[in-house]
Amino acid sequence: MVGHGGPVAEMITTHDLGKTYGGRAVVEGLDLRVPKGCVYGFLGPNGSGKSTTMKMLLSLVRPTTGEIRIMGRPMRRSTRRELLGHIGSLIESPPAYGHLTGRENMRLVQRLLELNDDQVVRAVHTVRLHDHLDKRVRDYSLGMKQRLGIAMALAREPRLLILDEPTNGLDPAGIDEIRRLLKQLADGGITVMVSSHLLDEIDRTATVLGILGNGRMLFQGTRDQLLARSTPDVLIDTPEPQRAAALTAQWHPTRVDGEAVRLSGLDHKGTAGVVSRLVRDGIDIYGVRRDAQSLEDVFMDLTGGRGL
Amino acid sequence: MGSVRAEFLKLKRSLSWAVVVLLPLMAVITGAANTVVSGGRLEDGWHTLWLRVVIFYGLFPLAIGVAALASLVWRVEHHGGNWNALMGRHVSSLHVVIGKVAVLAVLAAAMQTVLVVGVVVVGKLVFALPGVLPAPYFLVSVVIVLACLPVAALQSGLSMLMRSFAAPVAVALLGAIGGVVLLMTRLEVLAVVVPYGLLGRATQLGTGMFVDSGTVTTGAVAAVVVAALSLTAVVVAGTAAILDRLDIR
Repeated sequence: MVGHGGPVAEMITTHDLGKTYGGRAVVEGLDLRVPKGCVYGFLGPNGSGKSTTMKMLLSLVRPTTGEIRIMGRPMRRSTRRELLGHIGSLIESPPAYGHLTGRENMRLVQRLLELNDDQVVRAVHTVRLHDHLDKRVRDYSLGMKQRLGIAMALAREPRLLILDEPTNGLDPAGIDEIRRLLKQLADGGITVMVSSHLLDEIDRTATVLGILGNGRMLFQGTRDQLLARSTPDVLIDTPEPQRAAALTAQWHPTRVDGEAVRLSGLDHKGTAGVVSRLVRDGIDIYGVRRDAQSLEDVFMDLTGGRGL
Repeated sequence: MGSVRAEFLKLKRSLSWAVVVLLPLMAVITGAANTVVSGGRLEDGWHTLWLRVVIFYGLFPLAIGVAALASLVWRVEHHGGNWNALMGRHVSSLHVVIGKVAVLAVLAAAMQTVLVVGVVVVGKLVFALPGVLPAPYFLVSVVIVLACLPVAALQSGLSMLMRSFAAPVAVALLGAIGGVVLLMTRLEVLAVVVPYGLLGRATQLGTGMFVDSGTVTTGAVAAVVVAALSLTAVVVAGTAAILDRLDIR
């Protein structure tokens, strides 16, 4: 787990956070820990409760149970306006008024939040939208709308940025651009919480991952901690895979995988035991190795295969 | 106030301006056409022209027009992620609501201006009336704009809660019918505490119709103005309280 430095080291903490709609729990018992200055990848299949959680963090939706603290202060309806001044957000679809140009939308945010020209120019340059500001937003591509939405969220120079599926509907180049942007923002000291149902979209950017399934936290921690959660299969290369599999199946889940025998859930001691038993039974062994396991496999495993 | 200034920016290229221009012009054209068809006589000059244009306009079209404007100014918030963005900023619910009502007040004032200019133009060019529209009707116009405020605030609240464009407009039509019933049954006290009734009452000032005496009296004007401002304050406060408790799903 992350964030052992107490509440001050964390931008967001929640305790037993839950939301129920019509008797159905959409989010349940959520204990989020988002360290300051990190990119927090909030992952989960569609419908797992990511948007509802993010809406609760912004107090757009009131929790049924639990509490939220942002920058150490409780986030409630009575306190939200003060805290929202430090938070930029983009939830679900990108905002913006289609009948206005990009420039007019930025001016609108400027007036609303009483920002100066420099803040607006910086935000627009950060998302590289400065060449498209005089076009009406209804004529923007989805990628441009997402970037404008991020610029609108960034203009107030927030300490925390909450982005819900910002790469949704983008092409690979657009996804890569958002990825680089998030990294750049985090390098600038902003805490970024970003959700996605696609692991590889944020896997390389996120320093901390939170994985949600059916409204519950399945995992929270670093990428390495996530990989360590699951033991990769052992592959034994042998000229007699059928005979070897018949033997090992007596003690461990086994299947033949080409010229190898694949064994699941084996620790180091178990692996040594299996190898010595096979050698004792006169089966030649050419090699023993752990299968390369991707984060994706672990994610699939945690979300019951619904993740990707 | 930032939220009010931001709201005015949203009016750019908005359909609201079409309502502002077309609705009062239709009232003026209808009033003038009725006069021409019935022989072109305006027995009491400007007063008769004013009656022919404003009485019907004040009973139904004005409330429906204000409702359409409220639906239009809220419609943009129901698109995409605008609701989330609107409520995800540190702007208070009260300021959000006041911003919308302020925009509607300006649009209502613009609509009344178009109506007055239309009456003057038609009076001079079509009926060659002497002089200009008498001063009391300018005062009545200001009162009508103020009486639009409670309807604007109420319709703004309805359009905030309903994604539908037409449903709040239908409510305004029913409200206007209720207002007319109250005025026709001469329940003036009740009429001025119901926004739609108050709007009808304001447009009848100086006309002698229903509960009106036929002259613009200080008492009648004061009653409408006090009721309009009080009702607006109550409805705005109520709407802001609802918005503050609202979950954005």
